[in-house]
Amino acid sequence: MSETMRNRLMLATAIVLAAIYLFPLYWMYITALKTGSAMFATPPQFWPSDPQWHIYGDVWQSRNVGRYLANSLLIACGAVALICVLGVGCAYVLARYRNVWVDIGLFLILMLQVLPASLMITPIFVGFSQIGLLASPRFAVILAIAAKSMPFFVVLVRATFMSVPQELEEAALVDGNSRIGAFWHIVLPLARNGILVSAILIFMQAFGEFVYSKSIIQAVELQPASVGLNSFMGPNTNEWNNIMAYATMYVTPILAIFVLLQRRIVSGLTSGALK
Amino acid sequence: MTLQIELSGVNKYYGAFHALKNIDLAIEKGSFVALVGPSGCGKSTLLRSLAGLESISTGDLRIAGDLMNSVPPRKRDVAMVFQTYALYPHMTVEQNLTYSLRIRGASKAEMKKAAAEVAATTGLSALLGRYPRELSGGQRQRVAMSRAIIRNPKAFLFDEPLSNLDAALRVHMRKEIRMLHDRLGATSVYVTHDQIEAMTMADHVVVMRDGIIEQQGRPLDLYDRPANKFVAGFIGSPAMNFIPATVGADGLSLVTHVGEPQTIVLDRALDPGRTVTAGLRPEHLHAVDAGQGTFRFPVGIVETTGSATYISTATAPEITIVDTARRSIRAGDVVELSIRPSDVHVFDADTGIRL
Amino acid sequence: MKRLLSSITDGKGFDIALVAFPLGYLFLMSGLPLLYNVVMSFQEVDMFSLGSFWRPFVGLKNYRDLFAQPETLPILYNTGIFVAASIAGQFLLGFGLALFFWTNFPGASWLRGLFLVSWVMPGLVVGAIWNWILSGDFGVLNFLLRETGIIDGNIFWRSDPNFSLWAVIIANIWLGMAFNMILLSVGLSAIPKDLYEAAELDGANAFQRFWTITLPMMRSTIGAIISLGLIFTLQQFDLFAAITSGGPNNSSNVTQYWAWDLSFRQYDFAKGATISVIMIVFVMFASVVYVRSTRHEVRG
Repeated sequence: MSETMRNRLMLATAIVLAAIYLFPLYWMYITALKTGSAMFATPPQFWPSDPQWHIYGDVWQSRNVGRYLANSLLIACGAVALICVLGVGCAYVLARYRNVWVDIGLFLILMLQVLPASLMITPIFVGFSQIGLLASPRFAVILAIAAKSMPFFVVLVRATFMSVPQELEEAALVDGNSRIGAFWHIVLPLARNGILVSAILIFMQAFGEFVYSKSIIQAVELQPASVGLNSFMGPNTNEWNNIMAYATMYVTPILAIFVLLQRRIVSGLTSGALK
Repeated sequence: MTLQIELSGVNKYYGAFHALKNIDLAIEKGSFVALVGPSGCGKSTLLRSLAGLESISTGDLRIAGDLMNSVPPRKRDVAMVFQTYALYPHMTVEQNLTYSLRIRGASKAEMKKAAAEVAATTGLSALLGRYPRELSGGQRQRVAMSRAIIRNPKAFLFDEPLSNLDAALRVHMRKEIRMLHDRLGATSVYVTHDQIEAMTMADHVVVMRDGIIEQQGRPLDLYDRPANKFVAGFIGSPAMNFIPATVGADGLSLVTHVGEPQTIVLDRALDPGRTVTAGLRPEHLHAVDAGQGTFRFPVGIVETTGSATYISTATAPEITIVDTARRSIRAGDVVELSIRPSDVHVFDADTGIRL
Repeated sequence: MKRLLSSITDGKGFDIALVAFPLGYLFLMSGLPLLYNVVMSFQEVDMFSLGSFWRPFVGLKNYRDLFAQPETLPILYNTGIFVAASIAGQFLLGFGLALFFWTNFPGASWLRGLFLVSWVMPGLVVGAIWNWILSGDFGVLNFLLRETGIIDGNIFWRSDPNFSLWAVIIANIWLGMAFNMILLSVGLSAIPKDLYEAAELDGANAFQRFWTITLPMMRSTIGAIISLGLIFTLQQFDLFAAITSGGPNNSSNVTQYWAWDLSFRQYDFAKGATISVIMIVFVMFASVVYVRSTRHEVRG
């Protein structure tokens, strides 16, 4: 068998595998276009005969999707901003030194990374209610998400800083720069891509966050899209076309970002998780 | 003569590790000083301490007369050329050159003029708009040098700048750096592990080992009168032969203990019967016709390069001889040797100190 | 003051300032709650005492009560099944895919990356999609299984106690498999090619090469991935909320969902804290294994 034949065969197999794997996504997009009767037809339609584009508009109106997404966006941006401000410097210091204190710090950070949110929410909720933070619930959620996701961000960004040669910073110091100047002019610009990718990953996580928002935010008009989706799905719902339309509107921006930046996200992720 | 760099009683500790031990060093303005030694000897630590990238634990460090112990690198006014060049990858050659000027608040016109001037002297004029990744190894090296030159600093610090170049380019850049130094009248401190670089480039060579200065002085003084066995073995290529020996009864000759006892004549008197190590440079051992030499060894291996023939003896320890006279010596022969009494180095067998 | 300032611009003060604020924040937002969790597990906490700082101390009563409850052991058992089945499924399928893409053909790395969409999607959306796919009468999975003759009658994935936990496991395997595959691919590509060439010259066939070279060389990667899988699986909450809510009758309940349910549905915060403490100990154990295996990765 020739090389090109083999490559074509492998590529075809890979595409079939990917199609099987991504079928749930396809099913989401298709269901969102079906009428109530088409949705429950047997055998199910794998290609909508009569696509119902108006479902999107209806759901957007009736479920207040815009408001939910705005809340998600606000919470995610707040958390990412807080994490970047605090986490970048921390990651830099942990990358620059190699001693026992750094090892201890890194170990503690990795420990915090693994604490499940659903187990931490009880003390956080009780503590926040005692110091009155529940009065501004979205801010409280931002604080909680930042604490939860910062360790992951620090680990990823640290890997980026490790790839910036220390000589560059030393050259800048000898050239007459202060530590702050060298960090700002030399190290940060060179680590920019890695920081950006890590921030995007954190953003995606925060955009889909559920446990903290569900537990802390009681007022419907302040809840993010994940909580909205959860309350949309009652125990015996049969509005699956509407729910899938909601899910589509929620998830498509994330998927678009991912497909555009796929290569960078994958490499950023792997460099941090194993090193 | 004014002193540009002055170290007195400098120590450096990393935790329990004593990296620099009581270093005293005075560097004159306009001189080219090489710090040389095996890896881990502290030469890079010493250089980085001059730059301020490492802080010294005790002692005084002065540059141009000012105490610099706790002055940060940016205020020391020294320039450094790194082994990896450390060119800022996100800046063009011109931006790399003028970075230090920009920090000091120079105007755009000043920076452009300075960059053009320096680039003209180092042959970079055509490359000013390029990024470091678009340059060859030799060009990067030149950018790193130009970046130091443009500042007209109090001292140039070189950290093994040629070790990433291929052999031919290294020999060329050696000369170029030295010429640049002379033209600028600069003060340079040059770290290398290659004793040939140190010998060929420097006015003053400092040999270090385990955080200690073993010997310092002019290159030929180190070659002619090494203070101890370590310096004797480190300076010179191929390395000096060391032979266990005893001072003869007359005090004016050595009896060697390699194979059959044989006698080497000295030009000075030593304590009779003392156990010593004789140091004989391969280029000072001359193969001569039978009957004319003073001692002889069986030949093990003969290697020819054309300009010189390297003869290794079949003894333990092995003795190397450099012969430039194209004698037809083959493995298995016996080679007869002579040496001038003034070329025989003698070291104490225990301490290694020159006698 | 001047010395302090110059230390921040030029010395170690800069590093200390950069690291002190985030660590302080993490201590405040993660460390303190962790300790508070332990304290609450020894206290009586209900809706009335929620706001006060001094609550009655009850010793080990919460722990005793917890293990006296009839649902505790089944839920722990469910957690074990959920973790073991999820990790096994994610790892084996992920390894298979990683090996497939390792053969390296044009487009392999791009297609491989595409699989990771399952991992970046919000867990609740994944849960909603699988909830619909797994629905009993009209679910597309049941249709496909019927058509291929694997089952005769519909499986009521979400409402049949025998299947409800597996419904979540299936969704979780889909969610985490791609992440496993990507990390395993990294490990595979780190094995030097000449090892395989040497083994081939030594006469090893493909199967022997896999057993004697691939697996031993991947040992630390596999250790890291399995402990990461354990950590992620014990963090999985959204799928339970979106698919079964732990029901019916706790048949698909696991500790990480139960802890939340106790606190926020039954307002028994002390019990919620108690079960959290127990699980956090487990998770920390897993993370020690993870940290150790990644260290090995770095130094080895």
